[in-house]
Amino acid sequence: MCLQFPAPEGYASRVRDGISLVGYDAFCTPPVVGVAMPGPYTANAFTLAPVSPQADAISQLFVGTLIFLGAILALVTFLVIFAVIRYRDRPGAPEAQQKFGSRKLELLWTVVPILSLVVLAGFMVRTMAVCDPPTADAKPDLRIVAHQWWWEIYYLKTGVVTANEIHIPVGKRLLVDFRSADVIHDFWAPDLGRKIDIVPGHPNRLWIEADRVGTYLGVCAEFCGNEHAWMRFLVIADPPERFAAWMKEQGAAPPKPVTADEQLGAKIYRERICTNCHMRSVGPDLTHIASRRTLAAGALENTPANLAAWLHDPDDFKPGSNMPNFKLSDEEVHALVAYLETQK
Amino acid sequence: MPDKTMPEKTLPENTMPDRTKVGVGLFLLSEGNFFLILLITYVYFHSMPGDGPSASSSLNPMHTLVFSICLFLSSATIHLAGRSFKLGKRRAVSGWLALTVALGAIFLCGQVREYLGLFAHGVSINTNLFGSTFFTLTGFHGLHVLIGLFALAALLGIAMSGRLGEIKPSGFEAVSMYWHFVDAVWVVIFTVVYLWPLVA
Amino acid sequence: MKEVAIPEALGGESFELEAHEGWLDWVASVDHKKIGLMYLFSSLIFFLVAGVLALVMRIQLAIPDNHFLSPAMYNQIFTMHGTTMIFLVVVPALVGFANYLVPLMIGARDMAFPRLNALGFWAQAFGGLMLYFSFATGAVNGGAPAIGWFGYAPLSETAFSYGPGVNYWILGLLGIGVGTLTAGINLIATVICLRAPGMSIRRLPLFVWMTLVTAFLIVLVMPILNAGLVMLLVDRLLNAHFFRAGSGGSAVLWQHVFWSFGHPEVYIMVLPAFGMISEIVPVFSGKPIYGYDFVAASTVAIAFLSLTVWAHHMFAVGLGHTFDLFFGFTSMAIAVPTGVKIFNWTATMYQGRVRFTTSMMFAVGFLLMFTIGGLSGVAFAVVPIDWQLTDSYFVVAHFHYVLFGGTAFAVFGGAYYWFPKMSGRMLDERWGKVHFWLTLIGFNLTFMVQHVLGMLGMPRRVFTYPPLPGWEAMNMISTVGAFILGFSVLIFIVNVVVSLRSGKVAGDNPWGAWTLEWATTSPPPEENFAHGVPPVRGRRPLWDLAHPDRTDEMMMKLAG
Repeated sequence: MCLQFPAPEGYASRVRDGISLVGYDAFCTPPVVGVAMPGPYTANAFTLAPVSPQADAISQLFVGTLIFLGAILALVTFLVIFAVIRYRDRPGAPEAQQKFGSRKLELLWTVVPILSLVVLAGFMVRTMAVCDPPTADAKPDLRIVAHQWWWEIYYLKTGVVTANEIHIPVGKRLLVDFRSADVIHDFWAPDLGRKIDIVPGHPNRLWIEADRVGTYLGVCAEFCGNEHAWMRFLVIADPPERFAAWMKEQGAAPPKPVTADEQLGAKIYRERICTNCHMRSVGPDLTHIASRRTLAAGALENTPANLAAWLHDPDDFKPGSNMPNFKLSDEEVHALVAYLETQK
Repeated sequence: MPDKTMPEKTLPENTMPDRTKVGVGLFLLSEGNFFLILLITYVYFHSMPGDGPSASSSLNPMHTLVFSICLFLSSATIHLAGRSFKLGKRRAVSGWLALTVALGAIFLCGQVREYLGLFAHGVSINTNLFGSTFFTLTGFHGLHVLIGLFALAALLGIAMSGRLGEIKPSGFEAVSMYWHFVDAVWVVIFTVVYLWPLVA
Repeated sequence: MKEVAIPEALGGESFELEAHEGWLDWVASVDHKKIGLMYLFSSLIFFLVAGVLALVMRIQLAIPDNHFLSPAMYNQIFTMHGTTMIFLVVVPALVGFANYLVPLMIGARDMAFPRLNALGFWAQAFGGLMLYFSFATGAVNGGAPAIGWFGYAPLSETAFSYGPGVNYWILGLLGIGVGTLTAGINLIATVICLRAPGMSIRRLPLFVWMTLVTAFLIVLVMPILNAGLVMLLVDRLLNAHFFRAGSGGSAVLWQHVFWSFGHPEVYIMVLPAFGMISEIVPVFSGKPIYGYDFVAASTVAIAFLSLTVWAHHMFAVGLGHTFDLFFGFTSMAIAVPTGVKIFNWTATMYQGRVRFTTSMMFAVGFLLMFTIGGLSGVAFAVVPIDWQLTDSYFVVAHFHYVLFGGTAFAVFGGAYYWFPKMSGRMLDERWGKVHFWLTLIGFNLTFMVQHVLGMLGMPRRVFTYPPLPGWEAMNMISTVGAFILGFSVLIFIVNVVVSLRSGKVAGDNPWGAWTLEWATTSPPPEENFAHGVPPVRGRRPLWDLAHPDRTDEMMMKLAG
């Protein structure tokens, strides 16, 4: 059993696997050396800080509902606390009145809640139409295929393929078509709006939109197995020119390897048939991996050091992920990192 | 001394419902819900297009009707056994119970034959959704019939050994209710699984 | 030693029965009181186990990117925590109390089917053992099920859960379900058939009434779970296709079947608790329950409505606005009868003389905590809010407020209230108050912050999280609260153990209560009422007996 805390700066030694409990091979995973904490997690997601009209509609309804519910809670709390204080048993207190009920009161506290809920229901109906516009008639702009435990993203109009990071132009709403490659997942970017399940055999669609430039956090919000916690994604809302430039870069062929290291890396990439997974949708497309902010669907910040550490042993960071440990030597890792860093 | 009542003497038996009937009735209600879910599942998948064997291509309602009639008749025979039981006629009870068991056994044999035929044609529980839903639904029904046969055989054994008086009326009633239930479930299953493809 | 007299006509001697009770008397017992206590004991053991699982989870979640538990282990633990709490703790605790109290409260000698009662308990125990056996099957990818307590397909199918864990989960739940179902059948038959003379349905103590309604829900919905479990088992073991989208099956079907059971199940877990509150609050206010008819009728309304709301667990599945709206409306509707109860319980205290026993403090705590949980539930009925907050820590907060702040508080209240009847001794009131305050503080520390974590986008069922602003502090607060809660449970257990040996002797009716269980000794003799059942001419037989000049019937007539 090991009680681990994040490795402080300069933590030097590596601790191997902790005690195996009845055959589990990783009851403890060791702390990682010299690797920055996953980023970029400086800003939060917040259901009450909407950046789209859809999220805004929900946020307003939520605030109104919270106020309504808070008022009820305050009322009930007051009534209960008042009762237990005012009518507490103490010397000289009057006898308990043997009362049995009042039809009038029952009517009051049945009808008033019903009426309030009818009003709430009215707001609900209106908000639903705004925050989840119909999707049946338009053609999707993106297809997102959810895998255990990463996101595959296709831009249907341009053919661009990427993973774990969705770029959208500010102020324009895009229609996303969701598929699952395996189990039920869920796409949730709280700043942008509602979440939607991704169910195998039951395609779903959602409009996504952001009115402000920024990077918005998203998570998988349906338990999907081992690494559900590290199935995060980013939605990056760019100004239109930057978005167009990004799209162009993503669509272009990546630069050819130049240095010896890069060439060796390219060779290893071919010979170890990384493409077997990474170009067949078993693992994320790596064509432009160096342009992304995170690795392993948010588990790591995308830095050469992290990439190297990941290649050494993926299980250090995301145990149970489908990427095997290829037992690469240090030179092989160095070369691969050099190569992959050119894939912008 | 305020007047007290011994707890054993609740209201006289004939003003409170019989507890065995209530218990068995509730049990059958719950079993009914179990079959209802399996049935809804069957209907849901049946109404969707699918590949492979289906009810219309694989089943033979006429053949199944023959042994189904045996099961339906067995409800009549157990009812008659119940009437004889109330009149204390040991030989009649044994006779009707034996007939019920025989009819139920014929039903089960018919089902086994049907299953074997389906297996021979490559239709099994894992073939496709028709296979999965059909065998689960009818399989659990068959299991319930088998359990019912054991209960009937027990009653038959007691009746034949001359100890009819040791069977409580509510106990006989319980087995009878269960058997009618099993029969009623088959009426529904037969209609939905075998007859419905003929008209839809 | 118990003296048994043989009538003159049969020889006229007497002999002495050994009164010493060994373990065999318990194992072989068909007495509802012993079986009830065994249910309570088993529930308490599993409560400790599942509580430890929770503490282990909270250690892992105390800091971001923690490596205390591997994800595989964490996922098994949260699955087992939820499954245990629901099926092996809450339901058996309520069944245990019902088993013990219902025959006494209606003036009966035992349940309608004593042997079925015993069968149910042992089936439940066996099912629990089978479920936990799965931990021991641990291999690289085996071990306990790691699918969450609602086991969504296709994650629970063989392709994605290929160890035996899920099979044990299914078989364990089927076994446990036998216990629950037989208890339901037994309770209904008992209440319908074995009431003492004068105890009409409208004079039933509300605990009995609510248990009766719960029992009907049990009979109706346990088979739905069984059907789903059976289909999943057939998929897993025989390669059927029920929930496999690839071969035409439907993952959504599992959700429909499961939640058709699962939602009524949560009402099964709360209605008997409502019954306990309905007994405790009047007694410690010194007056009858306010609005008996409405409290009873609202229970029936809740039961009916609970069968119509299940798909509010599926709003995010994308089944269409019309579908979502229907279930949103029914889910809002079910808040109304629940609110009626809260108001009636509160009104019961008005113009009373409120005694702050530990039991009453838990009941008052229930009123406030359950209201919080119920109101967050109303938030979820508002479909767009659900679209943001379902599957986040907001919903974890919600259901812990209703299940712990609600049911568990009520059960603790019931424990302090009925422990004297069951054991003949009082629980220590001072330590009880310590238990109460620690529970209240620990519970709120643990779960109030989780509402905020949900709003900040923390999904549920995650073994860790990144160091986002505020997440670390709030998770740490939650963990600290959990340990305070754990400590409070220890205090309760010590109180129970010590009071069993040396608590104050209780007497027949230490609280001055009015229902029939207080009309016999503490603990009751095997036949429940050695000297007969008092006459039942109203809802409070012992009040009527003590106040023949102003019985309930008289006073209700006067009130008009």
